Amino acid sequence: MTSEMITYICKRTVVSTKPAQAGKCNPLSVFDRLMEKNHIRIVYYFPSTRNGEPGVVTKKLRESLSHVLTCFPIVTGRLQKKDDGHWMIKCNDAGVRMVEARTQGSVEEWLKNVNRDKELMLVTWEDMFHKPYFWATFYVQLTEFEEGGLAIGFSCSHLLADPTSATMFVKAWADTTLAGTMLAPPFFHPLPPPRLGNKNPNHNPYTDLINHYKSTIDDRSPAFTNNITNYVTATLAFSGPMVQACMLDTSRPSPFEAMAGLLWVCVSKVKGMKQGLISMSICLDMRKQLGLDKGFFGNCLVYNKVHHAESLLDKSELSEAARAVGESVTKMNNERIMDLIEWLEHHDYEFPPLMNGHDLICANLEDLDPYATLFEEGFVPIRVSYYVEPVFGIGQILVLQSPPSEGPLSRMVMVTLPADELSKLCDDDLILRFNPTILMG
Amino acid sequence: MPQTLPDFSNSVKLKYVKLGYQYLVNHILYLLLVPIMVAILIEVLRLGPDEILNLWKSLHFDLVQILCSSFLIIFIATVYFMSKPRHVYLVDYACYKPPVTCRVPFATFMEHSRLILKNNPKSVEFQMRILERSGLGEETCLPPAIHYIPPTPTMEAARGEAELVIFSAMDSLLQKTGLKPKDIDILIVNCSLFSPTPSLSAMVINKYKLRSNIKSFNLSGMGCSAGLISIDLARDLLQVHPNSNAVVVSTEIITPNYYQGNERAMLLPNCLFRMGGAAILLSNRRRNRSRAKYRLVHVVRTHKGADDKAYRCVFEEEDKEGKVGISLSKDLMAIAGEALKSNITTIGPLVLPASEQLLFLMTLIGRKIFNPKWKPYIPDFKQAFEHFCIHAGGRAVIDELQKNLQLSAEHVEASRMTLHRFGNTSSSSLWYEMSYIEEKGRMKKGDRVWQIAFGSGFKCNSAVWKCNKTIKTTTDNPWSDCIDRYPVHIPEIVKL
Repeated sequence: MTSEMITYICKRTVVSTKPAQAGKCNPLSVFDRLMEKNHIRIVYYFPSTRNGEPGVVTKKLRESLSHVLTCFPIVTGRLQKKDDGHWMIKCNDAGVRMVEARTQGSVEEWLKNVNRDKELMLVTWEDMFHKPYFWATFYVQLTEFEEGGLAIGFSCSHLLADPTSATMFVKAWADTTLAGTMLAPPFFHPLPPPRLGNKNPNHNPYTDLINHYKSTIDDRSPAFTNNITNYVTATLAFSGPMVQACMLDTSRPSPFEAMAGLLWVCVSKVKGMKQGLISMSICLDMRKQLGLDKGFFGNCLVYNKVHHAESLLDKSELSEAARAVGESVTKMNNERIMDLIEWLEHHDYEFPPLMNGHDLICANLEDLDPYATLFEEGFVPIRVSYYVEPVFGIGQILVLQSPPSEGPLSRMVMVTLPADELSKLCDDDLILRFNPTILMG
Repeated sequence: MPQTLPDFSNSVKLKYVKLGYQYLVNHILYLLLVPIMVAILIEVLRLGPDEILNLWKSLHFDLVQILCSSFLIIFIATVYFMSKPRHVYLVDYACYKPPVTCRVPFATFMEHSRLILKNNPKSVEFQMRILERSGLGEETCLPPAIHYIPPTPTMEAARGEAELVIFSAMDSLLQKTGLKPKDIDILIVNCSLFSPTPSLSAMVINKYKLRSNIKSFNLSGMGCSAGLISIDLARDLLQVHPNSNAVVVSTEIITPNYYQGNERAMLLPNCLFRMGGAAILLSNRRRNRSRAKYRLVHVVRTHKGADDKAYRCVFEEEDKEGKVGISLSKDLMAIAGEALKSNITTIGPLVLPASEQLLFLMTLIGRKIFNPKWKPYIPDFKQAFEHFCIHAGGRAVIDELQKNLQLSAEHVEASRMTLHRFGNTSSSSLWYEMSYIEEKGRMKKGDRVWQIAFGSGFKCNSAVWKCNKTIKTTTDNPWSDCIDRYPVHIPEIVKL
């Protein structure tokens, strides 16, 4: 065990190369403000590079990080409350925290016996200080493997970025290291404003979505503060043909819906539900629906509860689950999201909610494209893991892309459940029918 | 309303009176000589050539007398030329530009301060107030070891910083001047607070493989004015050694001196001192005369160490917890003012035009004999110098000197902008200021520059340079990427 412990070399702050424009402030949107209690952690694993000298790669990455931060003043800014009590970012140029570490062995060896706790050691994170103005919102950890390889741990507060934005930032960093320029510059602007003018006076706002948010915000149940449950994460890799088989079984056109349906049914079983399914919410990226550019930096994830009819005897539970997921997905369209935004603008809450604290959360992170993050020519990440912390309540499922060598339809699913339930899940018949490779856990 | 007009016309009249007086006194010799020469010429013309020839024959010179007198004249001329001090030329100099990744914005500095001094919010508040009023900008740099949380001021890190700064400056100097390391005859390195064994000058000799008969010196502990002390030393050595090149390296190594305690008087240097260094090439070789940038005219050193208060005003000591730091006393400005007065009294007669000196003398006599209540006359140094480089020790120092010497904002612009862009880089700040003036295109042939530096002890040293040739702006200097943004307006207090 000791051979896999990480030696921390140093901790410092990395600032941009050009001073930020003084006095600039960016308010946070309604979606941003909801995510105060959460933070994101991402781990990128890279194979050994040509440069064998320890510390050389770290230095290069640190310098390129400085360069890329010049274009992301929000990342180097600090949180402050506006006069109306809402958060904003003051672009004061304070920087991101960087931790440099070293560990023995090689990346490949590490990946063979990694688990949730070990993986989280590769990402540094500090919870919000009592005085948030001095609290760094972004953290980077570079861990060099002595026998080859590099792990980049990236964490940030969910207030400022969602997994899409975080991935985009790391990609911009990689582009800057590789070629000196960013291929996709970021956009910092508010969410689309409510449409004025052609508003139908008989328009009924989509109550289901709003109700879901309302109940989440109003829920102050003590389950939030209970953190005794020991959560474990497993990474299951489903190959392309298997995902296709699942899609055929459930007769759904989208891999996410098929995977979500499958996991929903299996998790319900291990939770002990004899009839019906546990309550689940899906979480999707709404940039396209809102007409925002892919480079929109900020939160654009919307949660929606999945409603399912009681399972009928002639339909299989799996296809019914997947159908319900699909229905939920189609219900999240532009009009309904705009209604939600408008409702949120007018509905103030005293305490920020825990958006992923009730139901089983199933997030669609298929389109993030993290394997295009190349810091050096030809060195594709071996694996990229995502965590949306903290995990409370029933559990969490993240549907991610697989490395490109596995094919476009293959998927990697990171499931976080209490320890005993997870082991039961990995032995479940339905899951095993699709023959997943257990990469972690 | 009608009262202002007479005042205005009075002041104009006064200005012309002053100008007339200056021309009269400064050119008195010419004004006396011209009438005499004219008189002789008229007399000669009146006498006519024959008369002059008769006059000549009547003097009865014989060969011995002529030979003796000509030998005497040649002897006196030789003694005069031999005893004239050798001219010392500044061929060129190079300032170190820290990498952009070492930049320390205010917010980062304050956050680190908070994290390190988490048990002393009052000390953090104090540092914040200092930083707000310091006159520093957001682009000053600290060495990598100070960026860590907590800082790691090891000896290895200090040597690393020394190598980074000194070697970069030296490389830049060698490239600019085309000097070969084997041609360096004298090497002087000054760094006040870091003095390892072997010395920093030995480090330079090792890196550049300098000659074994080099005359090397390492000055430590002499404070922020050590740069000019090194120049003085180099000048003295160049009087003794003909045909030589001297390289002076001025720097201050920040790494080992980052104060980690919470005594307020000792936290001040943390807020102001930043990474920087300069390498200067001085020479007394005749062939460098045409390509040299400046000629060294005077160096005046004043030491107030005999006074106890002056001696203790910048004092390195341990605080109550045993942490070492440099404590600055509250009467630093008063002592600096005294030291400056001392220095001015010595340098005044050397540089001021006769008109100013006469006025000063008159006022002095007047105060002594007639009425002690007369205000002492502060000579107008703007007539003696075109450019001023005041050590960027802090905003207060520059303000104080501007007031004492009655300088305009443009005169102190180089100092203020250097403080803003580079912080207080100790002994090398004078060179950043010179570089600023050059890059702004203001340095013309014949311009005189006055460099003033203060340092612990308490010392006030001045150097006077005369510009040898009009200097063109270049791209290989620390100001090249930001000179167009300067001058900037520096607010009294920057709100953090």
